[in-house]
Amino acid sequence: MNCDECSELLSAFMDSDLDENKASGVREHLAVCMDCAVLCEDFASIVEASQLGESAELLPPNSQALWCRINNLIESEVKPETSIEEPPIRRLWHLSFAQMAAGFVGIALVSSLLTIVGIKNYTQPAADDFTTRSASTQTTFEKLAGKLGLVETPQQARERRIREQMAAISYWNDRVQTRRVQWDRNVRDAFDRNLHEIDQAVTEYQQILEKDPQDELSGEMLDTAMSDKMTLLREFSDL
Amino acid sequence: MICIPYLGQKRASAIKTTILLLLSVVFFFGLTAVTASAQKKYSRNFDASRNVRLQLMNRTGTVTVEGWNRPQINITASLESPAANIQPQEIDGTIYINLVRDNQGRGEVGSVNFQIRVPYTAMVDIETRIGNLSVTNVSSGLVRAHISSEGDITLTNIGASNVAAENMIGDIFFDGEMQDGGNYRFSSVKGNINIRIPFNSSFKLVATAPSTRDISLGSFTNTSLNYLGDGRRVVGKFGEGSATLSVINQRGSIAFIRR
Repeated sequence: MNCDECSELLSAFMDSDLDENKASGVREHLAVCMDCAVLCEDFASIVEASQLGESAELLPPNSQALWCRINNLIESEVKPETSIEEPPIRRLWHLSFAQMAAGFVGIALVSSLLTIVGIKNYTQPAADDFTTRSASTQTTFEKLAGKLGLVETPQQARERRIREQMAAISYWNDRVQTRRVQWDRNVRDAFDRNLHEIDQAVTEYQQILEKDPQDELSGEMLDTAMSDKMTLLREFSDL
Repeated sequence: MICIPYLGQKRASAIKTTILLLLSVVFFFGLTAVTASAQKKYSRNFDASRNVRLQLMNRTGTVTVEGWNRPQINITASLESPAANIQPQEIDGTIYINLVRDNQGRGEVGSVNFQIRVPYTAMVDIETRIGNLSVTNVSSGLVRAHISSEGDITLTNIGASNVAAENMIGDIFFDGEMQDGGNYRFSSVKGNINIRIPFNSSFKLVATAPSTRDISLGSFTNTSLNYLGDGRRVVGKFGEGSATLSVINQRGSIAFIRR
């Protein structure tokens, strides 16, 4: 495989979208080509940076604009009905004053409620929740958009992120395996001890999530532990 | 006739003692010489401004940084055999020492133990793959200590506005004052994290110990700090909540101590 082919496949490789033959071809090329390895490291850095902005990532890209579009769609569906059923002006006068007043009060109440709910949903999560964006802290709009498939649900985002992390871990692990023969025994032992410890933490969170997939805290900790593992592998691959 | 054997025994014993003494002396000097040849020393000084930044990446070994009242950075190191290359660089007010880069591809490299003195106001960013890190008497914009694997981190008398300490296996101890608007982040996989701060500190806290659920707030317990997730996390404010404090210990404990 040459560098052009490798750089074309690199993104898919990081997403674990390649079949095993191509993936092993990329791995072999990365092991011998420093330029492509650096490119892959940059990819991994982006993956890592995206972790920092995870809370922002869970918000729809432009929620305000998205809401306006949905609102326009709803209005465009509602308008024809109102235009069809619009009574002639003369019929309007058939309503009594009490009926009209009740109608206006009803409309005012519904619109006020909608406004309050809208404002509440658009405000940021409370200060207590500033660390996480979980299903429990999602706004109604976000939940609705998630159900419509317009944005990722927290669980989908977590699964996607784990796939990305696994791909990066596999890459760094390959590099560590080629380097570790040069390490002295103390370094090898320390590395193995630490990797074992982090693997235990990962297993622990995975077991909790198998029993309770909604446990957001374990999901968050699994993400942290996977990042820690990636960092450990990356930093030891330099030695 | 009786005295001769007696005298002979005495002389033999004296000779034995002398030989043993001589052997001990030879062994002692030999051992000292071996130790001296196995350990090399490194020393260098840099003139420094108040806002100087020290950025050090060690491979294995301890790093001790101490603030002092001089516009100078003094670096001394003892190098175990086979001795590492140390090539510090000074670029735009930052002193860079990167032993990982300077010794890449060398295979086995001995540990390097650094003893560094910096101005009180210097920014300190130190890393090692394996070994202990210690920073004392620094009140600047940044103190960062990162251990890739195992080792203890000790930060004493720190007044920095941004502090980060991360390790895998080992203890983290922070003793210092939190600045308004500052960011403080402590993270470990297995060990004890102890944070010693004044009672008049003001911070927003997220402390997570998911495995042990051992989060001790001590004197800082109040109604604004709440335990969540079956005691795995504490979230809330202490005082006005000016600074941000994040503590994660995956498989260890977290404790707050009043300074």
